[in-house]
Amino acid sequence: MQQSNRVHRTGKRARSWTALLLMTALLAGCAGGNDGSGGAPVNENNTPPQASSTANQKPIKLEIIESGNNLPSPDKDQIKQELDKALNIDLSLTVYPSGDDYSNQLNVRMASGNFPDLFMINRQQLLQFSKQGLLLDLTPYLDQLQQTVDFIGEDSLKKGIVGNNVYAISKSPQVPYNTYFIRKDWLDALGLEVPQTIEELSAVAQAFTTGDPDGNGKPDTLGLTGGKLGAFAPVFGSYGVGMPGNFYEKDGTVVNSLYDPAMREALAFIRDMISTGAVDPELLANSGLQHQEKAIKGQAGIIYIDWPNMTKEQFVEQIQTVNPNAEWIQIEAPEGPAGRYDGAWDIGASPGRYAIPKALEKQPEKLQRVFDLLNYVSDPDGGSMLVQFGVEDVHYTLEGGVPQMTEQSGDVGHSWLYQFTGRPEMDYLQAKFAAQSDYITFAADQPRIEVLDGFIDNPDGFNQADATRYIEEELAKFVYSKRPLDEYDDFLQTLETSMNYSTFVDSAMTQLQELGFGS
Amino acid sequence: MVRGLDDKLFNTFVYIILGLCGLAAVLPILYVVSVSITPFGEVLRNGGFILFPREITFSAYKTLLTESNIPRAFQVTIFITVVGTAVNLVLTALMAYPLSRKNLPGRHLFLLMIVFTLLFSGGIIPTYLIVKSMGLLDSVWAMILPNAVWSFNVLIMKSFFEGLPEELFESARMDGAKEFRILLQIVTPLSVPVLLTVGLFYLVGHWNEFFQAIFYVTDRTLFPLQVVVREILMQSQQPLENAENMMPTQTMQMASVMLASLPVIVIYPFLQKHFTKGMLLGSIKG
Repeated sequence: MQQSNRVHRTGKRARSWTALLLMTALLAGCAGGNDGSGGAPVNENNTPPQASSTANQKPIKLEIIESGNNLPSPDKDQIKQELDKALNIDLSLTVYPSGDDYSNQLNVRMASGNFPDLFMINRQQLLQFSKQGLLLDLTPYLDQLQQTVDFIGEDSLKKGIVGNNVYAISKSPQVPYNTYFIRKDWLDALGLEVPQTIEELSAVAQAFTTGDPDGNGKPDTLGLTGGKLGAFAPVFGSYGVGMPGNFYEKDGTVVNSLYDPAMREALAFIRDMISTGAVDPELLANSGLQHQEKAIKGQAGIIYIDWPNMTKEQFVEQIQTVNPNAEWIQIEAPEGPAGRYDGAWDIGASPGRYAIPKALEKQPEKLQRVFDLLNYVSDPDGGSMLVQFGVEDVHYTLEGGVPQMTEQSGDVGHSWLYQFTGRPEMDYLQAKFAAQSDYITFAADQPRIEVLDGFIDNPDGFNQADATRYIEEELAKFVYSKRPLDEYDDFLQTLETSMNYSTFVDSAMTQLQELGFGS
Repeated sequence: MVRGLDDKLFNTFVYIILGLCGLAAVLPILYVVSVSITPFGEVLRNGGFILFPREITFSAYKTLLTESNIPRAFQVTIFITVVGTAVNLVLTALMAYPLSRKNLPGRHLFLLMIVFTLLFSGGIIPTYLIVKSMGLLDSVWAMILPNAVWSFNVLIMKSFFEGLPEELFESARMDGAKEFRILLQIVTPLSVPVLLTVGLFYLVGHWNEFFQAIFYVTDRTLFPLQVVVREILMQSQQPLENAENMMPTQTMQMASVMLASLPVIVIYPFLQKHFTKGMLLGSIKG
């Protein structure tokens, strides 16, 4: 009895030991990774003083995160290698293909104090992080960033300002890419002309749907396609209104498109056009590049899209594979009651903003390298050419001051990921996409409704995402005849009361007035 | 055993239903396989829908295996799968075994701790802080250690261990075996089904590793397979980006999907018999 009792007790003890051991093993396992992996970023405050003493020999590691795609691994990344060499840094860029993944990563790192040295932020994040004191105020450093400021220009500098301080560097502005594209061979097959007015646009779309333009005897073609209501951007434009929810100047005052009387007319026209069956029935469900695929596959004859997705060699080849006779041409925005406007173009939007964490203040050596980097990629005689076109005489050659891309240029197709301060847009596009030159100019020269949304910061208590979704849903009902347009006022009222839209509009008007618009 | 007309009707009905279910499972895979081996031009000519390829090319696979980040990602994924599953099994067994012994002091407390983690978790940021302070960021271990033990699997294994006859332990103890020897020489050989089942759970989890990689790893050379595949699949909507990038064709995308799922598809049939047995583990107490 006693014997077995003792056995029992020792057994019991051994087992609790096992459990304890396991716990320690767990902890040890975690700690074990410490020496094995290395590369652990050490905490904020205890910056080792050795940084300054060895700075001249040892490259400083700079970590940058942004959203993007197709970055090669460091050993194949010639842009990184050139930047490292030029600035004595070890540049580590990480890109995230999805915007959500990127915001998650950024939020986690900001919350945990593990700041990247330079990171991309949008306007909302800029407001939030600057309010939380996480971003370095660049105002006192602007002298050191002179090259960068000159490169991006005064207007872009403003896009990184919160209150009176510069918290972010905005890329230099871009140009619009979108226009209508139309199948010239289909027009010819049906004996039609390029549509000049919105009525003709609707008529051509109908003819494309019912007239069997591809001559295969099957009713398998569509008139118009595009990404959601964006397919009608030039139609909205022809009525002089921006896209739903946009702010713009009209007759000297700032208006919101939803309150623009012409909006109803535009919606009525779109509703009638949709009811003819000439518009892609999946229009509102098109996500990603589904509309482009439909165009390439020869299913749709008119599409509102950017030139890269229709005219790049890769896509031209695909179009030709499907039908060697297919011919897509860019067309002017059709004319409507208010003239021709090829959709809206937000003059307040920034192609991208980059901020530096406040914590970097304590590491002046490193901070200086970040400035050096920004200045270098903004130097037209230095790094700017590198991040635009690659290495001279390898990826491009200069002929009479104009860069010509070489065969090797494909190796640095990702160089744009390093354009932290942007690029001289038109020169860049013309040189880099010489084959698309005409399309680029055409799209850039189209008249657009100049939208001011980018200048507006959302007031507290207004949820942009909710309001946008509600607007999208209700407008879909209007244009698909699921809700009569007579109820448009009811729609506005619900929007104002339950989505807090009037607060937003009031705040936006005040902000825009302060900036000198509408006076 | 088909006897009357009723039975025949019933069987036909069952076959039809099961056949439809089978088709629903097979068609998407067939589509992915077919597109991945059809030249993209051919895919486009057929309006993007191909079930039986008429022209076959393996160029997409060749490109992916020679020119993309996929081969390196394979290495990373295989490493975290093999090492990770090993770590998982050892730790899970070490935890489940003591908990399965009814005379473990404080057993309820330990169990409560485990169940607690099933229901509540620290959230992303605190977990990130721990991973960071352990110095695991940017290493393969960040994809292995934070989830080294999944409490649900501990419970499954514990239930299985509890089902082993008590007499075995008594006789082993009488022969002078201590706890570790019992675990290694008595319990482990008897627990192959549960080890395989739980191992498979872990293995598939590691193979599909994505979130931890996205959060904890910034070094591109350490990205596992799923992250790389997703990069290929993600179609950017930014015209700016599309101007610069070479867009992977649908053929390429499907080929990357195949590469990523093929190994698991191949392993499954071999583990399936244990798996189905194992799925019922712990459901009957005896």
